[in-house]
This record gives sequence, C-alpha cells and structure tokens, in this order.
Amino acid sequence: MIAILLIPVITAIICYALKNHKLISYMSLIGVIILAVFSIPIITSSVSSPIISLNSILYMDALSGYIMALVILLSLASGGYSIGYIEHELKIGLIDITGVRRYYALFHLFIFTMLLVVVTNNLTVMWIAIEATTIVSALLIGLGFTKRPMAIEAAWKYIILCTVGITFALLGIFITYYASTAVLGTGGVLNWTTLKAIAGRLNPATMKLAFIFVLLGYGTKAGLAPVHNWLPDAHSEAPSPISALLSGILLNTAFYGIIRFVSIVEPSTGSNFTGNLLILFGLVSMGISSIFILVQENYKRLLAYSSIEHMGIISLGIGIGGVVGIYGALLHILNHAISKPLMFFSSGRIQAHYGSTKIENITGVLSSMPLLGTLTFIGVLSLAGTPPFNIFLSEFTILKAGVDKGLWVAVGLFLLFAVIVFYGMLSGFGKMLFGAGNAEYDNQKIIKAHYTGSDIFSYTIMVVMAVCIISLGLTVPDFIDGTIRECINVLGVR
Amino acid sequence: MKNWIQAFSVIDFISVGILLAAVAMNALRRIESCVRAYTLNSWLLSLLIGIVAFMIGETHLYIAAAVTLLSKGIAIPVFLRRIVRQMKITHDVEPYISNALSLTISGILVAVVYASLKEGIFVAGFSKNVLQISVAVILIGLFIMITRRKAVIQVIGLLFMENGLFLAGFSLTFGMPTIIELGILFDMLMGVIILGMFIIQIRRAFASADLDKLTVLKG
Repeated sequence: MIAILLIPVITAIICYALKNHKLISYMSLIGVIILAVFSIPIITSSVSSPIISLNSILYMDALSGYIMALVILLSLASGGYSIGYIEHELKIGLIDITGVRRYYALFHLFIFTMLLVVVTNNLTVMWIAIEATTIVSALLIGLGFTKRPMAIEAAWKYIILCTVGITFALLGIFITYYASTAVLGTGGVLNWTTLKAIAGRLNPATMKLAFIFVLLGYGTKAGLAPVHNWLPDAHSEAPSPISALLSGILLNTAFYGIIRFVSIVEPSTGSNFTGNLLILFGLVSMGISSIFILVQENYKRLLAYSSIEHMGIISLGIGIGGVVGIYGALLHILNHAISKPLMFFSSGRIQAHYGSTKIENITGVLSSMPLLGTLTFIGVLSLAGTPPFNIFLSEFTILKAGVDKGLWVAVGLFLLFAVIVFYGMLSGFGKMLFGAGNAEYDNQKIIKAHYTGSDIFSYTIMVVMAVCIISLGLTVPDFIDGTIRECINVLGVR
Repeated sequence: MKNWIQAFSVIDFISVGILLAAVAMNALRRIESCVRAYTLNSWLLSLLIGIVAFMIGETHLYIAAAVTLLSKGIAIPVFLRRIVRQMKITHDVEPYISNALSLTISGILVAVVYASLKEGIFVAGFSKNVLQISVAVILIGLFIMITRRKAVIQVIGLLFMENGLFLAGFSLTFGMPTIIELGILFDMLMGVIILGMFIIQIRRAFASADLDKLTVLKG
C-alpha cells in the first residue's frame, strides 16, 4: 500500500527533474501505468477483506478500494489525454517548458494527495490530505497564470473558499474526538475503525454539532450549494485534463469523507438527522445548478454546474439512504466519474479547435468533426440522464429509493430539476453540435487533418470512455455490483 | 507557580487577550498593524499552550507550543511582512463598512457565541471559557475576510480563523498527537505561501491587489 503512495511522488520528482517535454510526458504516462498495475492486486484484495498497515494509520476496505479504483482509472485517462493537450498548449505558446515540468509534477502530486485521502484510517490525516488536494490543485488551476488573469481569479477564490470551509470540517473532527473521549474515558481516538465500533455510544448532541461542521466543510469541497461558488470558476478556468480530475474524482474524494462521517454519526443520532440534512443540501444544489445551466453561455461553466447538480444527486441518494439509496449514490459516483471527464476532454478539444468557450461562437461540431461530435453527443445525453445511458440507471435507482421511502416532495423536486437540466444541457450543447459547420474553421481543419500520434491516443481514450458509458447503461457488470454491495456492507447499512 | 497560575486565572486572561487581538483587527487601519495583531495573537496562543503544558506536565504540548511559536509566531508574520513590502501599494485596509459598525458586529458575534455555546458542550478541561473564545475568534476571522477588500487582509482573516481553530482543538482535545499537529501546520504553511504567491500574481495581472478587480467570473 505504501508503494502505491510512493509511485506518484517519485514520478512527480522525475518529471520535474527532466528537461525535455516529450520525455516528461512519456515518463508521466509510464508513472500512471505502473501505478495502475501495482494497485490492481491491492484494490481487489481490499474489496474482499480490509487491509491495515503502518501502525493502523493506513486502512483500506471496499469503499476505499472503490474510490481508489476511480482515482487511478481517471489518472490513467487524464494522464494520457494530457500529452496531446500540453503539446497543443506548448505549440500555441500558452505554456513554456518550465510550465510543462511544473504541470506534470503537480499532476502526480495531486494524484498522491487524492490517494492519501482514500487509504487513511485517521480522520485528521484524511483532513490533511483533503486540504493538500486544495493546495496542489489550486496551483494546477493557476498554471501559466501570467497570461490568463481569469485563472488567477479562479484559483484565488478556490483556495480561499475551500480553506475556510475545510477549517470548519476540522472543528467538526475535533468535536468528534471530544465525543470519543467521553465514551472511552482515556484519550480519544480518531481512527475510523475504532470510532465505527463505538459509534452507537457517542453523545448524540455533540455528534450533531460535529456533523453540521463536517458537512459544511467537506460540502464546500464537494461543491454542494450554497457553498459551491468556487466550483464553476475553477472548473472552467483549469486546463481540461485537470477539470476532468477535479470534477470526476476530487469532488468524490470530498464526498467520500462525508460518507465515512455519516456512518459514524448515524448510529447515535438516527438516520433522520443526517438524511434530512443531506437531502436538503442535495435538493438545493440541484435547484441552484439547474437554473444556472438554463441560462449558461459558456459551455465549460455549463459542465461545471452540471457537476454541482450531480453532486446534489449523490447527496440525495445518500440522504435517502437504505441499501437502494446508497447503491444508487455509489453507482452514480462511478457513472459521473466517467461521463463528466469525457465531456471535459471533448470540450477541451472543441476549445482548442475554435478558440472560444462561448456557446454562441460554435456551431456544427458534428458536421466538421464527426468523431468528436459523436463522442460529445454521447456524453451530453448521458449527463442529461437519457435512458439508454449509464447516468439514467443510477438516477433511476435513487429515484426508486425515494419512492420506496415515500419521500414524495424530494422525488417531485428531483424530477422537476432533472427535467430542467435535461432541457438546459441539450439546448446548450445542441446549438454547438448541430447546424452548418463554419467553412473557415473547416479549411483550417483540412490543413491539419492528419492527426498526430498523441491525438489518436487521446481519441482512443475518449472512445473507450464512451463505450463504458453505453455498456454501463445496459447493465451493471457483476464485479462492480459486488464491489458496491461490499461497500454498503462496510458502511453497515441495512 | 501552579497555584499562582490558578489563583490569578492566567489562562483566562491569555485567552481573553487572544480574543481582543482578533477584535482589534476591526479597528486597525494599516496592513502592517494587522500583521502585528496576528503576531500578538499567535504568541499568546503559543504561550497558552506552554502554560497548560506546564500545568499538566505533558512533554508533547511543549513541542506543540514551540512549533506554534516558530511557524505562526515568527515564520508567517515575517513572510506576510515581506509580501506587504513587495506590494508597494497603499497600506490602508479599506474596509467595506465603517470601523464602528465592524466593531459592533464583532461584539454581537461574541455575544451570540457565548449565548449559544452556554449549554452544548461542557469542556471539563482547564477552562470552560476557552471553547467559546475560540469559536468567537473563528467567526471574527471569517467576518474580517468578508468585509475587507485587500487580498492580504483576507489571508490574515484566514490565519485568525486557523488560530481560533487551533485553540478550539486544543481545548477539546488537550493537543492532538504531535505528528498530526505538524501535518496540519505544514498544510497551513504551504497554503499561506501559495496564497502569497497568488497575491503577487494578482498584483501583476490586475495592477492592484484589491479583490474588487476579481469580478470577471460570474454566473
């Protein structure tokens, strides 16, 4: 398990030490591949039984394994996509070689911090890791800042808001520690496994206070409304591969913290308290994001607001709870982590081609770039929750959980917001995808029609992701189904 | 010595000092004085941890006090002062609201915290006032961040919040294990350094470090 944590750090150091940009990008790719190879046995064994190591500071169970698998899969995809993206940025002079070195080094450090979040057993170490993700990713957003003042603005807002938010989460963790001292008599504990064992005996009033602080803190990081303001800025201004990482997994690692905490708090306060708060936050997030999706003019920001909406759905699923609700939420985390990065990858391509992030400046993507257009179309349909695709399946599962529990108000609002988002997504991207292609752009395209090797590589990654979207929409494979069931087991939900 | 500390309730006096240093932020007009208020706040925090370490005789608390003094009391203030000097701009704080109103609202915040935390958690530890004071410091820090337009002051507000948080953590837990405390401090230090870098970038890109200029991204 320590090897997994070390690989990205070593890769980061090597990437920073190298001076040739081709060499750096291949090194980075090799780094993520080695990481993936090493992680497979650990993830599979953690699903069947929890692993504890390093004086029980490191701990992995099925849930950690599940999120870790997502982190590693997306680092693979994003690491592969980065090569072509950075090559393009280098060509048009948005970044220099120092920037490339810094980009890849930070990229791997970012992966390291996210891995640390999921493998730790200690709530404070988890907090330290989540705060470290903020710091590292803020640098990634502000990369090449001298030429893009908007990126500085985004990074500033991001780091200030998330640090303030997460400060409250630490207060919540301190309060939890205090509650555990009362139960154990001696010094308190912060180990998740120990807390889980004594969860039923913790003082409910104290734990309620702790949960509110933690939900506020990690909720800021997970992009739940009304503390989501940093998210659209950060996601739209970051380089596309980083937007994909931020949206696809960073939000989920923060949510992982919330899920862990819910399982500690619930036994003492009862599921109504945590559930209602999560449902409330989820619905508010969905409502606010659906309005902004409707009026959005910038397609990268539209995708960012769609992330808020999906985080709201996940929060709703966990809030509704029960086996079906949690199952839906965990499945939704997976589906969102595939669909949204695909969209950020393809929108990065569109941005590179048209040089604009305004929806009105772009028409006819489907006719001038058929492959990219098709991939984008699949992504949009999936994100909007259209039936044969994966996100529909998980949304439907959460909806079913809500109906089973008779939460009619929540279900009604969920449907209303989902319809608004459906319209907003399709009308926004519809304008870009359909219509006549712009002749001027098409001529440019003919000039550089022969794709370079890295382009083909990026497209391969995107096609694989699109295939995953379609196949996950048809059925949930047995190994994913088994893992999610094991996660539910670990969380002690029945 | 121990009797003397208890008889004169030194711990309460120091924690009130921490609160006053935070409240004073509302009335200060120059950025340099704000940095000084923060330095005072950090020194008092470290002194408090040191005295409690002496009272209960815990070695790891002495380490915590020393580390707090080094990082929050010396390193960060020196760094902040360097940034302020590099900026070469007007050194006025320029709050959005008047100082009198700002002070009043801070006073109300303290009262609200005292009223609401009166019955909730009872800390059996060294002083039952410390938790209220720490939460009040956190809220005042947040309030300063909201109402000031200079980027440096926002960072100082954040640092005040973190001092309050440390105080709260300390009063609730009697000091975390040293390694964890070091981890939190390291994170914080990195955060401040990176914020400092961004302040300089903002100044370069927008020719000012007023956050009013950061309004391109909306909706």
